[in-house]
Amino acid sequence: MSGLVRNIRLFSRNVSYLRCYTTRPACVILKKYNNTQIGVHNNGIQLSAAQTRHYSPEIIKPKPTEAEIKERVLKVVASYDKRLILPHERSYSSKPPLTLKLIADRVLLVLKLYDKVNPDKLSLESHFINDLGLDSLDHVEVIMAIEDEFGFEIPDTDAEKLLRPADIVRYVADKEDIYE
Amino acid sequence: MSQKGRVKNLYKTLLYYGKDWPNGYDYFRTRLHKVFLKNKDEVDPEKIEKMIKHGEFVIKEIEALYMLKKYRTMKRRYYND
Repeated sequence: MSGLVRNIRLFSRNVSYLRCYTTRPACVILKKYNNTQIGVHNNGIQLSAAQTRHYSPEIIKPKPTEAEIKERVLKVVASYDKRLILPHERSYSSKPPLTLKLIADRVLLVLKLYDKVNPDKLSLESHFINDLGLDSLDHVEVIMAIEDEFGFEIPDTDAEKLLRPADIVRYVADKEDIYE
Repeated sequence: MSQKGRVKNLYKTLLYYGKDWPNGYDYFRTRLHKVFLKNKDEVDPEKIEKMIKHGEFVIKEIEALYMLKKYRTMKRRYYND
């Protein structure tokens, strides 16, 4: 009914002369009629609700004992504890735990990604200049890449001695205090 | 520091400065490598000293280039012409 009324009102809003002369009074009358009908319905509902208020004896439970309450509360508290304590491990900017194997993998990965090194020839024991065919300038670049990878600076005097990937692994492990 | 060490240090510094090179780092790296290799057979310490000085001059030039680039970028942001 109200949908019909709304449609009529929308229509009359669009067509202004209709609104002025004919349909508006009709709409008002329709709305009034509607309201009275709803009021009748509301009264009926209130009456029936008042009649059906009665409690069934099965629903009322006896009061829980103290032990039961304690158990229930502790259960809730325990679940909160679990949620609060578990993610309490602080790991803001700590490095991933290094092992010798991890260092070796990272060094080899850096070397594999370096374009002048042939990945097939590469192993931990291959000499940069003799086996891999790099010159001393490439060696400087390799050392720079290692510095970037592990995040600390390697002084020139130390860099001269790091001629094999195994040397680099050992040097990084010494710097980071990693032992077997 | 020995002269060899100084040359290596120069190479390292130049590589570091080349990381923001307008044509890309790889372009800079290959060129730099070629330039260093061109003079690898030089043994005269005085000539090497001269080349190291030239390399340090180039570092200053690169720095100036970056400053100019920054200045021009800023200027372009503020003025249309």
